[in-house]
Amino acid sequence: MTHPTAIAPSNESPGMWRRAWQRLRQDRVAMVSLGVIAFFLLLIAMSRTGLIAAHWSDEVAPSYADPAWHLDPAAATTNAVVGIPNTQLGAPVDISDIDPLAPRYAELKERTAKIAHEKAEQATWLPFGADKWGHNVLTKTIKGAEVSITVGVLAALLALFIGTLLGASAGYFGGFIDDALEWLYNVFTSIPYVLLILAVAAIFSRGFLTIVLILGLTNWTGMYRLVRAEYLKHSERAYVRAAEALGASHASRMFRHILPNISHVLLVQYSRYVVDAIKAEVILSFLGLGIPVDMVSWGTILAETQEEVVIGKWSQIIAAGGSMALLVTAISMLTDALRDALDPKLNE
Amino acid sequence: MKQPLSHNMILRCVSALLILLSMTVTYAAQPKVLRVSIKAAERGFDPQRLTDLYSSDICWQIFDTVLDYDYLARPAKLIANIVKEVPVAEQGGRVYTFRFNPGIYYADDPVFKGKKRELVARDMEYMIRRLRDPALNAPYSWLVENKIVGLDEITEEAKKKGRMDYDTPIKGLELLDKYTLRITLKSPDYNFLYAFAIPQTAPVAREVIEAYADDTMAHPVGTGPFKLVEWVRKSKIVLERNPDYRGSKLDTTYVDMNNEWDREVIQSIAGKTLPLLDRVEIYPIEEEQPRYLAFLNKETDVLDTLYQAYAPQVLQNGVLAPNLKKQGIRVFEEVQPEILYDEFNMEDPVVGGYDEQHVALRRAIVMGHNRNQETQAIFKNLAVVAQSPIPPGVVGYDPAFNAAEQEYNPAKAKALLDMYGYVDRDGDGYREQPDGSPLTISYLNRTGLQYTNQAELWTKSMKGIGIRFENRQVQFTDMLQDEQAGKFMFAVSAWIADYPDAQNFLQLLYGPNTGSANRSRFKLPAYDKLYEQALMLPDGPERNKLYREMCRLALAYAPWRLGIHRAFLHLVHPWVHGFDRHPINHVKYMYIDIDVDAQQAALKN
Amino acid sequence: MNISSFILRRLAQMLPTLLGVMVLIFILFNWVGGDPAYILAGKISDPKMIASIRKQLGVDQSYLVQFWIFVKQVFTFDFGRSWSTNELVSNILKTRLGPTLTLMIPCVIIETVIAVICAVLVAYSRGSLIDRVVMVSSTVIMSISFLVYIIAFQWLFGYQLQWFPVQGWTGSVWRNLLIYAPLPVMLSVFVSMAPSLRLYRSFILDEMCNDYVRTARAKGLSEHTVMLKHVLRNAAIPIVTNVAAALPTTLVGLFLLEFFFSIPGLGREMVVAVSNSDFPIVKAVTVYLAVLTMVVNLLVDVMYRWLDPRVSFK
Repeated sequence: MTHPTAIAPSNESPGMWRRAWQRLRQDRVAMVSLGVIAFFLLLIAMSRTGLIAAHWSDEVAPSYADPAWHLDPAAATTNAVVGIPNTQLGAPVDISDIDPLAPRYAELKERTAKIAHEKAEQATWLPFGADKWGHNVLTKTIKGAEVSITVGVLAALLALFIGTLLGASAGYFGGFIDDALEWLYNVFTSIPYVLLILAVAAIFSRGFLTIVLILGLTNWTGMYRLVRAEYLKHSERAYVRAAEALGASHASRMFRHILPNISHVLLVQYSRYVVDAIKAEVILSFLGLGIPVDMVSWGTILAETQEEVVIGKWSQIIAAGGSMALLVTAISMLTDALRDALDPKLNE
Repeated sequence: MKQPLSHNMILRCVSALLILLSMTVTYAAQPKVLRVSIKAAERGFDPQRLTDLYSSDICWQIFDTVLDYDYLARPAKLIANIVKEVPVAEQGGRVYTFRFNPGIYYADDPVFKGKKRELVARDMEYMIRRLRDPALNAPYSWLVENKIVGLDEITEEAKKKGRMDYDTPIKGLELLDKYTLRITLKSPDYNFLYAFAIPQTAPVAREVIEAYADDTMAHPVGTGPFKLVEWVRKSKIVLERNPDYRGSKLDTTYVDMNNEWDREVIQSIAGKTLPLLDRVEIYPIEEEQPRYLAFLNKETDVLDTLYQAYAPQVLQNGVLAPNLKKQGIRVFEEVQPEILYDEFNMEDPVVGGYDEQHVALRRAIVMGHNRNQETQAIFKNLAVVAQSPIPPGVVGYDPAFNAAEQEYNPAKAKALLDMYGYVDRDGDGYREQPDGSPLTISYLNRTGLQYTNQAELWTKSMKGIGIRFENRQVQFTDMLQDEQAGKFMFAVSAWIADYPDAQNFLQLLYGPNTGSANRSRFKLPAYDKLYEQALMLPDGPERNKLYREMCRLALAYAPWRLGIHRAFLHLVHPWVHGFDRHPINHVKYMYIDIDVDAQQAALKN
Repeated sequence: MNISSFILRRLAQMLPTLLGVMVLIFILFNWVGGDPAYILAGKISDPKMIASIRKQLGVDQSYLVQFWIFVKQVFTFDFGRSWSTNELVSNILKTRLGPTLTLMIPCVIIETVIAVICAVLVAYSRGSLIDRVVMVSSTVIMSISFLVYIIAFQWLFGYQLQWFPVQGWTGSVWRNLLIYAPLPVMLSVFVSMAPSLRLYRSFILDEMCNDYVRTARAKGLSEHTVMLKHVLRNAAIPIVTNVAAALPTTLVGLFLLEFFFSIPGLGREMVVAVSNSDFPIVKAVTVYLAVLTMVVNLLVDVMYRWLDPRVSFK
């Protein structure tokens, strides 16, 4: 969690965002990061709409087919483990005398023969290789990106929403409400984060929304703290007083007047939360509490790599670990740049 | 350490320190120390309280079971351990007499106040009562439950009184003299003796159990070849040779000289007084990667049960990988007497039922499952496809039994579904039930990579035949709870032999066991009748015929999707001798020897 | 408000917080959590046996009674025995704390020292190439998942290069520190250093913008003196706060390392306890850590106000 002083109170004039954007455009690192993020967003938009990676779950190659950078002619043999030979079986056991289905055997045989059995052709190698099922690691990683980023964005949004709502109420109203919320905050922060996540995860059954809920419900405290501090400060300011004099309601003052003025704090903190949530999803998946089986995320891919690195199959850890590192780096860089751009005090 | 040292100064210093430290260890006397890892943390070493496999295996080194298995005989053969002979079934399998050998002493313990404590028939009688003590909730009480004349009454009484009566004589448990116990059963049971070759039924000294009360898990006092000397929970378990052990020799009656492992055993330990090891260090390592790497690094001497996913690194086209071969590592392959399967809930309105339509649905689901991928992608070909509920290596297993009904055949599965009205009516690619209501198979399974893999394969396979499949992956406790209560449609399951008889597996489908062992709630009168008949018979062709009939019924009604019998690889470093993993009692350290010089030499280079 | 009444007030606030923690944990585990009896019953269980075990564990009693027992446990510091191993919970905490501390203390010290040194250097040369390189590389380093580090580096350093063993733990602290702890500590430092470095840099930069720095510079003090005597001394306050506040979480936060290096620490114990529904352990760990967190927070606040007179005791 960042210390609140890292984000100093800033200039609240309406042109703040425009000027920040101008400053940001000067920053090459920020622009590159923005490009990377845009690229990922484009990717997941395309994957979401089924333009790419829609068929990630097709088995397009043999198990652990080689990646392009490591085409090993000997690999075909190392992939095939021959284990214990099957024992000599006799003729199939006849169960027709006790089988409830026996009367319709002939019909079944006839119908079975009619159903054609097609087998798709398989590639011998893929750009990023194949996983143990023969899925294309590249499309799988893209699909994984979609799920991981969506989890990150939604979980952070939930945390942002809860944190802002509670923080704003505490900071704005003070008094009893503040005391009660401070109590809640203390309770949540006194329980080790890991335990809280485990406990909540153990209760809900696995599912996409569950992950969002877990990460959102356990992550709001930092945001609450920040927002409360900002509201404490702002609710005394002249422009809020003025709004009050003009008859603005509490809700209006809280969200129409104060909120826009602290939005830069929210944005910076939000992008941090996205990163945290993406990372936390990986650990949850490792513990078996993450994304459900019929979906794929960076976390589930990385959880699989624990059985792959030892046998020399690096394509999944490189693909998922690498793309995650790229995106997270880009978000973090942009966050830094944003903070600097929104906080002119440091830029003197 | 092993590698030529790098140029880095810091590294050199660290390495020098490490060498210094390892030297202080090697300069001490050279005891024979075996270092092994186990896959999950142990829980404790009170025989009657054992629940997990790893604690049980360790207990079996410390305690003597009344009967045991011959080290070399395959299939497993029951032998006398601390009794004079394996009791014969008297009065048609109703009475068994155990005659204990005199002169078998417990390891010294403060409880005995310096006196030698002999193991007597009373200890076995005490153990049996203890298994049924309601205060203990012994997980293996079913071994003697509803079997021994007069025992269940004592238990019922204890439930009322809140205290188990350990003293009033019971009709079914007669102490004829100091060394003789006669057990009388309510009804014939030819598999009864197997119950006494399980660590859970190792006799214990009553005074020890009473003295340590709540702490019995940490104070195992047995008559076995080893004793517990150090226990850092979930990190390190150290056994040392029990100086009071009577000593025994390898019985070579059942040796198979065509088997290279048997030959090695004969060569290295035959005729020697056992145990040969001074010390066994057992490390629980829960993650598979470090467990495997620790073996390769020679941090452990034996890798018991290699993680299936790593098999391609070890066996390539059935041959040991060259790099391992060069080091002299040996690999022991075995198919264990266990079965992985999936069970339908026979009481579920969607998949349960004994009528044609529901039988067809289950059979189609079974045939739609791509078990080729199961053995190849998940188990790396280290699996034998199950043909019946009975695994190889147990009495009653028929190697010729071929269950074509369980083969992967998507075309036949689709045809079967079409025939019985499970067709796609709304064009979404998924079939509905004959009455038009949606069809979704809900699969109860637990967290963990292996289960995730299985669930993934199920989802794919069912999509292939147009069945909507939903995974309920939950924590282990939640799974057990739902399974027990019958709150599931379809669930992952597995069974490991407690004793090597088919009955141990066939009981899982016996109607009256519903709510306990029979979790699929399968109740077929024809099956139950066969089961009851088989119980009354000793091993023989007549009983095998009944077993075969039961298996056929299991195929026809398909309460299970028969999965696979896993094959296991165990890796052994060249300095370990006498290794021959047993299907039931796994590893007996008593028979293992170590060439200390070779071990130390390998550690140094 | 003076120090003692401030402390008294904060201490009094701890009680309701603790109560909240207890209620939350109780709801999460006893009420909606799994039923431990099913694991304890073993391979073949029947409803009678399950009922009997539940009775023995006391989970068949009403929630009110169970909560009351929990309250009594907290105030007598006696959480009974683990449900899965029958080991005394107090004993579990005592024995698992050592290994965790053996990992944690070097981690925290090394990480803080390196992060502070780097932060000073970087802040000193703000905007320069070094600053950029360090900031970018630390961002990249912290963007890779911890799991990837552990899996890849254990393989690399533990097996390929054979610099460190991949598992093991002994009763000797020194042996542990020299042989078994270095690789996990290194991994942990590697991952946690980058965020700290970034944070500390911002603390130092904050201080550098203050007027007193300019005054000191204007007085002709050397840049060195300004940095060490003034800036670092003031930046030390948020740094120490940050380190201290992270301590309680770190006690169980190293569980991934404890799993992969087979270290019998508190984090691993707790994760296993959660999946076994071993409530006594979960409750004890939670309550003790909650109390520790509150105490640390209080100490930090007191120290903060004591060192920095600008902040009053409100």
